[in-house]
Amino acid sequence: MADAVFLAISVLTIGSAIASLEVRSMIYGSISLMVTLAGVAGFFLLLDAPFVAMFQISVYVGSIAVLILFTVMLVRRELLFHKIEDPRRRYAGIGLMIVIMLGIGTIIIGSGIKSMEVDAPSVDFKEIGKDFLTYYSPALVVMGLILASAVIGALTLARREDVTNEQRTD
Amino acid sequence: MSSIAPEFRLSRFVASLTDIIFWVVVIFTLIGLPIVLILLFYIQLPVINDKLLTPYLALTWLADPSRTLPIVKSLIHTDFFRITTFPGFGFAALLAAGTIFIERKLLAKMQLRVGPLYCGKIEGILQLMGDGLKLISKEIIIPAKADKPIFWAAPLLFVGTAAAFISLIPVAPGWVVADVDVGLLAVFAVIGFFPIITLLSSWSANSKFPFIGGIRALHQMVSFEIPLILSLLGIVILAGTLNLTEIVESQQHYWWIIFMPIGAIVFFTTILAELERIPFDLPEAESEIVAGWLTEFSGMMYGLVQLGSYLKLYAFAALFTVLFLGGWNGPMVWPPFPQEIITEGIKMGPITLHVPGLPLLDQEMLNGTLWFTIKTVGVILVILIPRGVFPRIRIDLLLHTGWYKLIGLSFVNIFIALTLVYAGVLGPGGLIQ
Repeated sequence: MADAVFLAISVLTIGSAIASLEVRSMIYGSISLMVTLAGVAGFFLLLDAPFVAMFQISVYVGSIAVLILFTVMLVRRELLFHKIEDPRRRYAGIGLMIVIMLGIGTIIIGSGIKSMEVDAPSVDFKEIGKDFLTYYSPALVVMGLILASAVIGALTLARREDVTNEQRTD
Repeated sequence: MSSIAPEFRLSRFVASLTDIIFWVVVIFTLIGLPIVLILLFYIQLPVINDKLLTPYLALTWLADPSRTLPIVKSLIHTDFFRITTFPGFGFAALLAAGTIFIERKLLAKMQLRVGPLYCGKIEGILQLMGDGLKLISKEIIIPAKADKPIFWAAPLLFVGTAAAFISLIPVAPGWVVADVDVGLLAVFAVIGFFPIITLLSSWSANSKFPFIGGIRALHQMVSFEIPLILSLLGIVILAGTLNLTEIVESQQHYWWIIFMPIGAIVFFTTILAELERIPFDLPEAESEIVAGWLTEFSGMMYGLVQLGSYLKLYAFAALFTVLFLGGWNGPMVWPPFPQEIITEGIKMGPITLHVPGLPLLDQEMLNGTLWFTIKTVGVILVILIPRGVFPRIRIDLLLHTGWYKLIGLSFVNIFIALTLVYAGVLGPGGLIQ
């Protein structure tokens, strides 16, 4: 059962990933990107990690895919990309991908990950939270600072001095 | 006689009915019965009590009252029943249908109108059925330059997402379709699909009004999702779980609204915005952009979107009940099942009827469902009433409310929850348990 579900999700994820690159219509491309991200959430569910899966759906499908969709709808395609039709680039890309995947695959098979337990109980998300707040708390603080600086930087960039706000705000 | 169909004759109507019945009987006997018999030849029938369970035997058992109830009882505890009928789709659709009628009648009374009046003689109670028949029989018109696959899929996806939301709501102890450990996160994940569907459907109609409405809906839903999520974190901190059933069980003695009224207010406001109801109904502003993102839908597609939005209304009201109002908790008011019916049977004059399998549903579940329904209907009414009172607000005020005030208030709420936990009043090992 799990194998069949794994195969189905793999086909869906990889197929929609290829479709998101190759489809002419950009809206359908972003929809298939959404399917890809949801498929990754399906892998997390198969791996007994519902917490990560739900965050994958709510962050990637619910927010980032919406952002991509919104940008694609509002901006003309010529402004975003200019087309370069060159079959050699595509073959080079496919070759590069195969090389990278083979490299990662040999590293993983060579490392100790291949002898992992299959029947191990799933990790409780409360344990992850405890670890975050105790042992890894410096990492959490650094992450929070990075996110805060990113938000402040985005606000600074978006703010324009030359445009006065003529709308009433009361 | 109504003036809409002047040629209506009752005799012709009855004749057409008998005609249809005649042809159904003829076609069933000539084609249907042979197909059934051929299928029965190939299906392996189960053997129960050394008897082959043929369809005739199954029908006989179903007609026998002493055997019907156990069959019904075992049906009630199947997943199929849960998904389609009780805590799932059927129950929610029933409440949603009631909501539509109550909304029309209530708004009419508030604005000194009469509302639906003629359909069904008594205060127009059959109005909804009439509307449904009209929507089903209407033609579905699709704009010529619409993106057809997305346009067709959007209403179905909308209803499906609303149904997925409903499946996470616990109605009575043990009565929930999907009891997941990360229930609240699953709710957030499901809510995230609504703006995508709205935006895609509005884009695919290839028309100006739906697109403006869709962009407005996107702005509104995405910006109000943040205070929605933040306002519920206080409950997660105090209850120490994300599972909705456990959150309800943690409110056995007091409701969370007592300790977190600010969170409840923020959550209620975001509900109004997520549901696109007045005063936040900018995506469907009928005086500015026709019907917003619903403009190009017609016939049953429009009906499906409306069904989905009322299911969503029920789901959000039920979520408010579950999180803030104690869910199914309440004093036991449901009368216990009379014991003498189980032991002695029902006495009707000289006849005594013994019915095995009673009681069908236990007292706790019925009591819980009663309290849950009362609270949810109350929340739905409070969501409906602003429509009769408030005007629509401008979009910049809406976004200002969402980004500045509600997010600030939800942080205040989180700090209140943290204070209660660190002062040792609530939470694990607190003074009040």
